[in-house]
Amino acid sequence: MQKLLDILASGIHDAKNQLFQAESTLIEAESRHGVDLGEARYAIESAAQRLSRTLTAYRLGRDDQALAIVPTVVGDLCDEVALAQRHHLAATQIRLEIDCQVFDEWPLDRDLLTDILNNAVQNAGRFAKTCVRLGAALDDGGLLLRVEDDGPGYAEVPPAGGTGLKLAETLAALHARKGRQGSLRLDNGGPLGGARFTLWLP
Amino acid sequence: MNNPYIKKRFLVIDDQPTARDALRTVAQNIGAFAVEFAANYQDALYRIRNNTPDIILCDYMLGEGRSGQQLLEELRRFNLLADETIFMMVTGEQSYEQVVSAVELVPDDYIIKPFSPDKLLLRLDRIVAKKEFFKDYYRAKRKQEFDQALALLAKKRDSEAGRPYRFEILRQQAETEMASGNAKTAEETYRTILSNYEFPWARAGVARSLHRQEKLSEAREEIERVVSSTPTFFDAADLKASICMAQGEAEEAQRVLDEVAKKTPRNYLRKRLLAEAATLNGDDETARAAMADVIANDSMPGAVQPEDRLALARSQVNGNEVIAAEKTLVGLKESELQNLTLDLQASYAALLAISSPGKGKPRFAGLRPALMSAALESTPRLDILRAALSLGDHELADHQAETLMEADDAKKTFGSTRKLYSLHGREMDFRNIQKQVALKRIKHETPAA
Repeated sequence: MQKLLDILASGIHDAKNQLFQAESTLIEAESRHGVDLGEARYAIESAAQRLSRTLTAYRLGRDDQALAIVPTVVGDLCDEVALAQRHHLAATQIRLEIDCQVFDEWPLDRDLLTDILNNAVQNAGRFAKTCVRLGAALDDGGLLLRVEDDGPGYAEVPPAGGTGLKLAETLAALHARKGRQGSLRLDNGGPLGGARFTLWLP
Repeated sequence: MNNPYIKKRFLVIDDQPTARDALRTVAQNIGAFAVEFAANYQDALYRIRNNTPDIILCDYMLGEGRSGQQLLEELRRFNLLADETIFMMVTGEQSYEQVVSAVELVPDDYIIKPFSPDKLLLRLDRIVAKKEFFKDYYRAKRKQEFDQALALLAKKRDSEAGRPYRFEILRQQAETEMASGNAKTAEETYRTILSNYEFPWARAGVARSLHRQEKLSEAREEIERVVSSTPTFFDAADLKASICMAQGEAEEAQRVLDEVAKKTPRNYLRKRLLAEAATLNGDDETARAAMADVIANDSMPGAVQPEDRLALARSQVNGNEVIAAEKTLVGLKESELQNLTLDLQASYAALLAISSPGKGKPRFAGLRPALMSAALESTPRLDILRAALSLGDHELADHQAETLMEADDAKKTFGSTRKLYSLHGREMDFRNIQKQVALKRIKHETPAA
């Protein structure tokens, strides 16, 4: 089994290197010809993200995914999601608002959390009418990260989860600290009136 | 707008030419003008030694069994990386996150491929801001003005601007306390970090500070937790091995080091530690092979020191390869010999007296008065003991044994000392020395009535 994981991991590693070369080719073309290939680059980065997510899901399925917890500035986390998604959302006339009320560091798996939030913002963007909001606040001694939109909301609550949601739920629960575990809540409502994706981390 | 990166010198380290080009493209896109390349580990070391860049973008996988993490460790080991230099690891590997979250020695940041120039820019800006925040502290730390450095950290910890850096401040505080010799305070600082989250590096810090305080069984307990929960944290295994040696468990120390050394075949500090453990454990062949590897392959200028050749000679003497030992010792240059500390001179003379009595005995005899009176480390003492026993100099031998048994690290050397005495049929004498030392200790510890 370890062998299969190694093959998968090294294949994904190679593919991501290739994707990076593809992206750098686009960057070169952008500066040479003065064009904006942002959407093409977004597609490349999303593909790489999918590959990573697949590997993470596979590892989780085998109980072989350990978190890599590092102190992370919550504002930085929000900024990175905004950087990755804002351009793409703007192309479909949707605004991404960031409302980060946490100014300190939080111990969390930065890369997995960034991926979860990127995925949540992507999903929200598909249903939003005009706006997606990413918020961070302190709540009940933990960190609350929320993605909400002004779309029609989930058709059923809780929604039938895809890979992304399942992953988010499992990864949230893996975040444990001082005897408490993280959790994921999906519902409708809130100030924007659409779907709400709420992650709570201890 | 003033782009701060135009004037910065970048070094891109990657063994794949196409990946290097991609990294250069990204760096140039954020304004970099001077971008140098290094194609491999040695090339990177050479360039950084000779002309330190401002910003290093280093791929995690460097080929030939080398990793960017190893490079980072080597740069720190030889003090080639100023705190002001930015070291950014670039990786397509998700596994590197695990490394960063565990170990004590980390780059300024790491970034996962593929990434956009904007993302690199965001990350670099953040590092620049952080380095600016810690600037005065770095300066005090470099001058080893520890009190000043700690005072600066305390001020930063309480400041509003320090909020995003509170873990880093505590981590730097603990390291500075440790460097200034205050292991007890460092332990408390690491425990403060742990009260917030169970970081493996902080737990290892507790173990390291307990070890420094000679609280060996507590240190062992702490480090066992780290090693079992974070097997990829190899430095924790090194620390465990050092603690085991101090506890007199050389066999376990060697077992631990053997295992990690196989996974990091080009870590020569670890090989040296393995040789030390193997020597204490009586496994001369492993010690000899490890030191031969160090001397042949630890290729940084100045990396191989006379004490490494002495360690090789020691393993050869122990394995009865006296001709090889003599050759190793004679290979040391006269200029090197003149600059040796008394500890190393003592080892040299002792090992030479055994392997080449004609040359070595006069030198050893000349040092004898000093060996009877000077304060020496336990390693040279064991060498002297070995030579004195084989030359039949009982007085000199027994003095070494007595001093070894009285020393703080007596547990570490006990097995080797006993073995040497029994090798020369003097078990009873050794037992008597042991008894004397124990009696002396009791007398010393009993308060006068």
